[in-house]
Amino acid sequence: MNQSPVLSNADANVSGVSGASAESQLNRKFGFWLFLSSELLIFCGLIGAFLVTKHYATSWPSSKQLSIWLVSINTFLLLTSSLTVVLGIDNIRQNKQRKLALYILASALLGVLFLGGQAIEYQHLIFTEHFGFGDSFGTAFFTLTGLHGLHVLVGVLWAVAVALRARHGAFSARNYTTVEMFGLYWHFVDLVWILIFTIVYLI
Amino acid sequence: MQQHMVTHDTDVGALPHGKATSPVLVYAILAIATVFEVGITLFAGIPRTVAVPLLLSLSFVKASLVALYYMHLRYEKVIYGLVFVAPAAFAIFLITILLSG
Repeated sequence: MNQSPVLSNADANVSGVSGASAESQLNRKFGFWLFLSSELLIFCGLIGAFLVTKHYATSWPSSKQLSIWLVSINTFLLLTSSLTVVLGIDNIRQNKQRKLALYILASALLGVLFLGGQAIEYQHLIFTEHFGFGDSFGTAFFTLTGLHGLHVLVGVLWAVAVALRARHGAFSARNYTTVEMFGLYWHFVDLVWILIFTIVYLI
Repeated sequence: MQQHMVTHDTDVGALPHGKATSPVLVYAILAIATVFEVGITLFAGIPRTVAVPLLLSLSFVKASLVALYYMHLRYEKVIYGLVFVAPAAFAIFLITILLSG
């Protein structure tokens, strides 16, 4: 049998897992990391575009104009949602499906609150500060943060789907790869926000 | 064992049970670092030449904590980390060249 480059013979024989099943599992996971890598490159490109635009711009809003307090609260919401995802995965590893569903729903709720905060921030920037796609800041800012917001929205929908499946007993201590994939995605969205928060709002 | 039964990654070499760093501890570090970042930006009269590298360092540490402990790269195969980080490192290199030009 041809072995995957990400799977050793020792890995394939742990816990009585058949080689084919374990290989399929690890290939799926490797594929998801490749997907996250491509996503990270997209965000790196947009962050680079933001920095270059800022570098050559004649005027740029200050941190205080960017509703820094609101964005800081949003940052805490996203950080907390990552914690609840980790706690949810910890619970499914102990076969606690109900707690998994609750923690993942809590993450979804925190994600919705984050999006609400972003909507308030956009309203302030567009209607009070008069930024938009017509100026260099608005173009770079709304493209970068808007794409991130879209990722949060996808994460929220995925979280609700995972929570509903958990309530119907779809996962167990030996079957939670889908939950882990969702967790990786959600943490990735959190990681990207950590970079955006510093680069866009603080420096 | 049924052939089609999906068995989790922890059984094929990822996060070992009972050895993970407390997620609450990681969260506390992330939260404190964020408070520091906001404080540096809004209150401290730190010169920009010092504040910017400090903020970028804090951000790098926070992102690394999320990748290592929440995304479990600390316990995963090295190839996952390489796949994830190497293209980003190249992108950062290109951004640095663009900004210094």
